[in-house]
Amino acid sequence: MLGRGMLKGLWVTLQHTISSFTSGPRRFPKRYLDGPVPRPEPSTQGMLTLQYPFEKYEMWPRFRGVLVHLRDPETGQSRCTACMACVRACPHGVLTVTGEGKGRERRAKTYTYELGRCIFCRLCVESCRFDAIEMGQEYEFVSTTQDQTLNLEEMLALGDRSGIKHTGEAWGQVE
Amino acid sequence: MGFLDALPLTVMDWLRGLLGQGLPAWGVELVVGLIKVVLILVVAILPVIVLTWLERKVLARGQDRFGPNLAGPYGLVVAFADAIKILTKEDIIPQAADRQVFRFAPALVLIPTLLVFTVVPMGRGMIAADLNVGILFAVAIGSLAVIAIIAATWSSGNKYSLLSMFRSVAQLVSYELPMAFSVLTVVLVSGGLSTVRIVEAQVIPFALVMPIAAVTYFLASLAEANRSPFDLLLGESEIVAGHNLEYSGMRFAMFYIGEYAHIFVIGALTTTLFLGGYQGPILPGYMWFLIKTMAVVYVVLWIRCTWPRMRIDQLLDFSWKLLVPLNLANLMLVALVFKLAGTGLLGSLLSLVVNVGLLVAVGTFLVRRARSSTSRRTRALVLGEV
Amino acid sequence: MAFISEPRSLDTETVTINLGPHHPSTHGIFRLLATLDGETVVDVQPKMGYLHRGIEKIMEQRTYIQSIPLVDRLDYVCPLTNEHAFCHAVEKLAGLQVPERAEYIRVIMAELTRIMSHMLAVGFLWNELGATFTPMIYAYRQREFIFDIFEMATGARMFTNYMRPGGVAVDLPEGWMDLAVKVTDNLERFFDEFETLTAENEIFLARTIDIGVLPADLAINCSLSGPVLRASGVPYDVRVAEPYSVYDRFQWEVPTRPHGDTYDRYLQYLAEMRQSLSIVRQAMAALPDGPVMDEKARRLRPPKGEAYARIESPKGDLGFFIVSEGGAEPYRCRVRSTAQINLTALRQMVIGHTLQDLVVIFGSLNCTVADIDR
Ligand code: SF4
Ligand code: SF4
Repeated sequence: MLGRGMLKGLWVTLQHTISSFTSGPRRFPKRYLDGPVPRPEPSTQGMLTLQYPFEKYEMWPRFRGVLVHLRDPETGQSRCTACMACVRACPHGVLTVTGEGKGRERRAKTYTYELGRCIFCRLCVESCRFDAIEMGQEYEFVSTTQDQTLNLEEMLALGDRSGIKHTGEAWGQVE
Repeated sequence: MGFLDALPLTVMDWLRGLLGQGLPAWGVELVVGLIKVVLILVVAILPVIVLTWLERKVLARGQDRFGPNLAGPYGLVVAFADAIKILTKEDIIPQAADRQVFRFAPALVLIPTLLVFTVVPMGRGMIAADLNVGILFAVAIGSLAVIAIIAATWSSGNKYSLLSMFRSVAQLVSYELPMAFSVLTVVLVSGGLSTVRIVEAQVIPFALVMPIAAVTYFLASLAEANRSPFDLLLGESEIVAGHNLEYSGMRFAMFYIGEYAHIFVIGALTTTLFLGGYQGPILPGYMWFLIKTMAVVYVVLWIRCTWPRMRIDQLLDFSWKLLVPLNLANLMLVALVFKLAGTGLLGSLLSLVVNVGLLVAVGTFLVRRARSSTSRRTRALVLGEV
Repeated sequence: MAFISEPRSLDTETVTINLGPHHPSTHGIFRLLATLDGETVVDVQPKMGYLHRGIEKIMEQRTYIQSIPLVDRLDYVCPLTNEHAFCHAVEKLAGLQVPERAEYIRVIMAELTRIMSHMLAVGFLWNELGATFTPMIYAYRQREFIFDIFEMATGARMFTNYMRPGGVAVDLPEGWMDLAVKVTDNLERFFDEFETLTAENEIFLARTIDIGVLPADLAINCSLSGPVLRASGVPYDVRVAEPYSVYDRFQWEVPTRPHGDTYDRYLQYLAEMRQSLSIVRQAMAALPDGPVMDEKARRLRPPKGEAYARIESPKGDLGFFIVSEGGAEPYRCRVRSTAQINLTALRQMVIGHTLQDLVVIFGSLNCTVADIDR
């Protein structure tokens, strides 16, 4: 109405300008927070930008990061039995598994995970009934080629680092 | 005049004396003139460096972002990073382009902007050339920028650029007029065309004496500099940056510098004409000039952060149907007031009253006309009904 | 109102320009061939197919569950409603019963997605009007909070892969409700602020009122749906016309606008966001306990047959037609994509307006190019 709306708009942006200096954890002159950054409280004003290489969020427990293998504390090996369920479930043919042994002795010999093609959908984990794989919290795996792979050992090491004991811990699926 | 205030002049006088010992009088003038030219260049280019940073920061802060903050402390040297990036780009000339004109146009963009700085008083006695037609010179030179834009758009042989040219010509021509009227009002009251004289005449800043002229001048110069909300020439969402679409590398940088220098020109001229120029208490004159200019520049950026772009026909309507008649009326009324009441405090006060009265009258007129209008747009714009 | 009032009286020619495939305001790779007379648009021809990914074909080689990550990517602005529509169709085909709790969770997720999509629609509309990103970034800022609660529940921000035929993949985690309440409360504040910033801006009013008017009969004839249709005064909403899920249990209304111009579409988006928020709140308050997955859905092999099911996606009527031969993969899957059909009215809407309006009208239709081409 005769310029009032335009002035109201200016008032809103001015508020944002001021509150970007005065409110929130990153208020002036602070730019980077130290340590793992908590998720911001919902707000309408104030800085939200995550200064990525310097700051990182703590991921939610359910965050679907890179696929890891879980170690069986008794044998020290992966619980994978090379049943191929995950291979069939994967929509992109990311996984290749070869097994050795028969029956209950059957174990995975190799387990190849083509990182560059994974879409992090977690269908493989959902299909695995042997408590062998889970999606970890790590996400900084840049691959410059489509065929960058992780093998069983690497995935087990990642699983140790992630601290996950059982599949579906964070998903309310472990009794 | 305090010591600080006069410092630049003292240095200049000292320099003159020094030169005078070894050189003839004309030689001294020549050297001093050259120094002034260099200073003007510095004054014009330095703000560009600051403004590239400032614009991003102001926009970012208005949008809850940080803006550039990795290049140097608080991203201060981002302009240099930009410069390196732009200078290392390949210089492409399209096949359909008119090569000579295409090459020449970017140089043309910067010249009018630089020339305007010669008549801007940046402090007490700090002016490169105190022309007695100073403000006329500024207005005349300022509108030359359109030639550069026509040259650039026409020669690049691109349809988007062509559209940009149609828009720019229509826009610049129609905003020249309200701008001239508002400047005329100032000239009338201050009684001279010299910029120094205009500044000295502002015991009370003219923005308070005749707000209509001040706002009009500000808007019109936004249109002249192609700033939001009148940035139709660039219109990146429709004509993809229009006139400089085909430019790259150093030639694009010229447009870039020209654009930012122009923002500073808006600030400087608005300050000179309406905000009392270098006048102000305590601080030295050039500081006041800088503070006021930067305040205006901030408003320019703030508007860019908030408002959308106008449409070309609405833009022309706004100029011809509102700004021109309003300023014409304002000019006559202000002239009348100052003739009757003198240029003292009484005249200023009356002029303010007349300005506000005029605005109220126009507002009432618009509201009354809108009440009987059936156009939904008019009703929404004036009465706020949707 | 044309810029040049009588172009024919001058000896002028029309100019044909290519908006796209790379153009800042066709978000994605989309090409519009526009014929201009001065600034006035006399003809436009959309050229589609630059972003064709063959999703329908790929789905024939995927099991039903494997298709869910794919339908996420159909219209990447509102992945969860795509999943909802797809799962709905598969459920119809296989005769699955979705548990109560899963239905409520689906409604919450779908309505949050609708808010998210509408926010971006309005933000991008302002972008196309030439505002330097400000409203869009405010919208993005809020979307981040919605993404937060999506990520907390599903593990991913955008490509959630959360719904399954027969329910949802997993139950909500602990503490989700508390965060969701905070986010929805904040959304309310955001709507108010956003309205202050945009709704009354005079330049915005002048640019959008009476621009791109879509009459109701044209909208119906072109088979348009969603907010674009409702802004033309047709109170048609699949959630009401053909109730699915548990929408009939909530108190809400279908907002409409009478004029069908760009400004009405903008107001429509705002009004629908508020309605969605109210549905989310009601659903969160009434969320029942129980399982979230139909046990029959574990090994999914729908019987021979075909099914068509549709839902109200943020952009309109989104339908999936699935033909099954009894195997683990669909024999054929066809998507009735909203964006493509909403685009059909573009030509009639823009002719006679200026180039600047063309961009704005296209923005107000809120088409995701990925959804047009699939
Ligand atoms: S997350 Fe998805 S794409 Fe990646 S390996 Fe598992 S099933 Fe395959
Ligand atoms: S990871 Fe699980 S599903 Fe995959 S082969 Fe091993 S046991 Fe089978």
